Amino acid sequence: MNKVIVGNHAVSWGVKLARTEVISAYPITPQTQIVEELSDMCARGALNARFIKVESEHSAMAACIGASAAGVRTFTATSSQGLALMHELLHWAGLGRHPIVMANVNRAMGPGWNIWTDQNDSLSQRDTGWIQLYCETNQEVLDTTIQAFKLAEAVNIPVMIILDAFFLSHTSEPVDIPDQVTVDRFLAQRETSIKLDVADPHAFNALVRPDAYMEMRKDQQDWMRRAKTVYAEIETEWKALFGREYGKIEPYRTDDAELILVTSGTVTSTTRHVVDQMRERGTRVGLVKIKMFRPFPTDDIRRALSGAIKVAVLDRNISPGRSGIFAEEIRSALYNIPMDDRPKIFGYIVGLGGRDVTPAVIEDIVEQTQIATQPTREDLWVGVKP
Amino acid sequence: MKQTTRYGPPRVASSTTSTVANQTGSWKYIRPFYQDKIAPCNAACPVGIDIEAYIALIREGRWQGARELLLQENPLPAITGRVCDHPCEQACNRSQFDAAVSIHAVERVIGDMILQTPPARANSTSTHTIAVVGSGPAGLACAYHLVKLGHDVIVIEAAAEPGGMLRLGIPEFRLPRRILDQQIEWLEALGVCFRTNTELGTDIAWEDLSKFDAVFLATGAHSGRMIGIDEEDGPTFMSGLDFLKAVNVGQRPSIGREILVIGGGNTAIDCARTVLRLGADPLVVYRRTRNEMPAIEQEIREAESEGVRFQFLSAPVSVRHGESGTRGLNCIRMELGPVDASGRRRPVPVTGSEFTIASDTIIKAIGETSQLDYLPVALEREGTSLIVGGLGETNIHTVFAGGDMTEDTRSVAFALGAGKRGAIGIDRLLRPGRRQPDELAVEQLKFADGNVSMARWMSSDPVARAAPVNRVVSFDELNVNHFRHLARNEDRTTMMEENQGSFQEVNPGLTSEDAITEAGRCFNCGVCNGCELCLILCPDIAISRGTGEERFIIDMAHCKGCGICVEECPRGAMAMTREGL
Repeated sequence: MNKVIVGNHAVSWGVKLARTEVISAYPITPQTQIVEELSDMCARGALNARFIKVESEHSAMAACIGASAAGVRTFTATSSQGLALMHELLHWAGLGRHPIVMANVNRAMGPGWNIWTDQNDSLSQRDTGWIQLYCETNQEVLDTTIQAFKLAEAVNIPVMIILDAFFLSHTSEPVDIPDQVTVDRFLAQRETSIKLDVADPHAFNALVRPDAYMEMRKDQQDWMRRAKTVYAEIETEWKALFGREYGKIEPYRTDDAELILVTSGTVTSTTRHVVDQMRERGTRVGLVKIKMFRPFPTDDIRRALSGAIKVAVLDRNISPGRSGIFAEEIRSALYNIPMDDRPKIFGYIVGLGGRDVTPAVIEDIVEQTQIATQPTREDLWVGVKP
Repeated sequence: MKQTTRYGPPRVASSTTSTVANQTGSWKYIRPFYQDKIAPCNAACPVGIDIEAYIALIREGRWQGARELLLQENPLPAITGRVCDHPCEQACNRSQFDAAVSIHAVERVIGDMILQTPPARANSTSTHTIAVVGSGPAGLACAYHLVKLGHDVIVIEAAAEPGGMLRLGIPEFRLPRRILDQQIEWLEALGVCFRTNTELGTDIAWEDLSKFDAVFLATGAHSGRMIGIDEEDGPTFMSGLDFLKAVNVGQRPSIGREILVIGGGNTAIDCARTVLRLGADPLVVYRRTRNEMPAIEQEIREAESEGVRFQFLSAPVSVRHGESGTRGLNCIRMELGPVDASGRRRPVPVTGSEFTIASDTIIKAIGETSQLDYLPVALEREGTSLIVGGLGETNIHTVFAGGDMTEDTRSVAFALGAGKRGAIGIDRLLRPGRRQPDELAVEQLKFADGNVSMARWMSSDPVARAAPVNRVVSFDELNVNHFRHLARNEDRTTMMEENQGSFQEVNPGLTSEDAITEAGRCFNCGVCNGCELCLILCPDIAISRGTGEERFIIDMAHCKGCGICVEECPRGAMAMTREGL
């Protein structure tokens, strides 16, 4: 079924098709439409889920953790300050190994109060033990939402699906909505051997002493690594059923490229367009879209970038006092490959707080990178007024 | 189809047994406990009815229990359900949420139910006989409670039929005679004896009362106040009470067409509505505005809808003698000045604003005073009111008094409350072994600062019977997040057009189903009603259902003193205390 829907509703549809059993959320712009639609679906009986109203995001995540511990499929959505308020419980969900799925609509952190997109909210939660998947289109949002449940439940790690504020959340695009029967073939009801059971009472997540804690952490790390393989398997299955795949990363026209641009989120679509135009003019430029940020697809990145001379990373985020976060991750991923294969890595800070990243901005970045012989000591801020 | 790899369980922390082994109760420094308090309706009720408790029983459909509880405190629920100005509803916490519980309407349903079956005769367990003088609400209440306490009682009434103001002062369309007659018969069946047509000071002498072990005086207030203008004792003037009495005994006084009713209280409204039913045209002249009228709001509304007209901010100045015998009243415009002792803004005349209203009869309904000439001078009084103590005691130790002849609010409910206090005072006098007659004991009988409770007086230990904290629960102490907005079951008022000129009862009351629904709106302020929210919301599952007196048991080995139960209790019936106290 084809429908023209906004990105937020693409999430809602995914959650519905996944037959989610418990939803708990607190409204925040620009996420609210997701749970509004879900509460409506629950109210009219289209989705047989328990919708738990709460007074804060902290409680929303706590409710999800409780429900997930009881063995059911669980979802929430949030954005920006709401995600930050969840912080403590994101660790709890991660280390407690609760396969919760959450949609985070990328919105800049305040102050100054800003409802537009950038990635600092989700990237601030990098180390909480959540898988992070950044989406480019509404179709990808819907597909990834359903896949996320399968992935989370296979590895017992919570998954955060990430979409750009307004560029996806409030923008309508045609979306092919999968039929329920096929989705049911792809995603069965959640099964877990570890869950709260009044007939056999146990307490979860209580005191763990130094002699056991590291093993728990190591197990989490091992499963994070395995999640990359599992995700590839899931994509294969999805492609067989629905004909679409996205990849942990997506290299685009990178063969023979001297310069490769690296993007994530909706900036990717614009960059794809710029790459096509420059290719027509004979510029040997390519693109790598990063979808999976955690676990970080180091091997895929190395394969995709090691042939290039220069790499320009577009970061819609900033780690204050350091650099763009994707650029930093990529530098780190490529450092231990042979010196000769290592491209020069140029970092650009763009589009913070929802500022437009237009084709002209991207063309400027390409030209600047071509001209420069060495990256500057710090990333360049593009289009910042003096 | 190839399924995604399934792996083994994650490495997570899980206890080997249930959490019962973890005695989280050792963490706490404060602990919750159940603590009933006083609902505002109970404290506001001049009768001293445990309203919260009987409403709770009705919600569960336990009519028998509700009847007993109500009758323990109020002898005349069918009457108060109709004519009381229900201060309980003004105090009701629910009025700050949506609308007050319609307590009077629920009370009336039980009251009418009670009248369906005569009561069993009360057991006479004392050797004492008490004379109650006056059979208005104060006298009836005192007699009723004394009979229930086992005493013999004779009610002495000057009029031909018992009832006092209930019969003579309240019009038939608000209180049908049928109900009053049934109520009197009901009291007779219980064991109250009436001696009518017997006026103290005329038919019997004060000295004749000395053969009784105690006397309760409740002869009311019958003398109309004077406006203070010339000729007001002339033929065109009439006292409001005299007018109502005449109509209530079946007379139809010839009053003409244009009738002025001076005053803003219930008597004024009753007079105006009665005038309307006699086919004349009433105009209520009141010196303040509608907002300051002391009459019951619902009665004012009904009067307005029936067509009673009002002339506010106007006061009589003199009688007008027009040419060719036309009559009328010269009035002056008033404006509201500073707030006076009654808490209302004092009306002040506007110079030069005199005007005239034509009238055939002028009914003065500006209040009554007591006539105390027939009583011995030794009985202490202040002006025209007897001085009484907290249980109706006068300075003569076998003589008690209550109602309109004392310094008390003039209403049926206050009179019933005074009668109950008098009965307790007399019971305490005649059975001195029963209770220590100190002030503290009287305080402990009260619902907070409201009237005394007969239930507490009858119990072996009124202190234990009292709520642990004898104070009213405010709206702020409730957790109204747990309540839904629900429409109030309003009284159904028969439109005047349907019964033009009829003295038929205006308000047909609620059905018993409506009464149960209405009782369901009660918050049960300050009193545990077993809603189980504490049990449901306790994060340590430390609260369980109790048996018998204790509704719930808190497992202190696991309660860690978080206070969620206390915070979430919708009705403020829990509290916290420091450990070790």
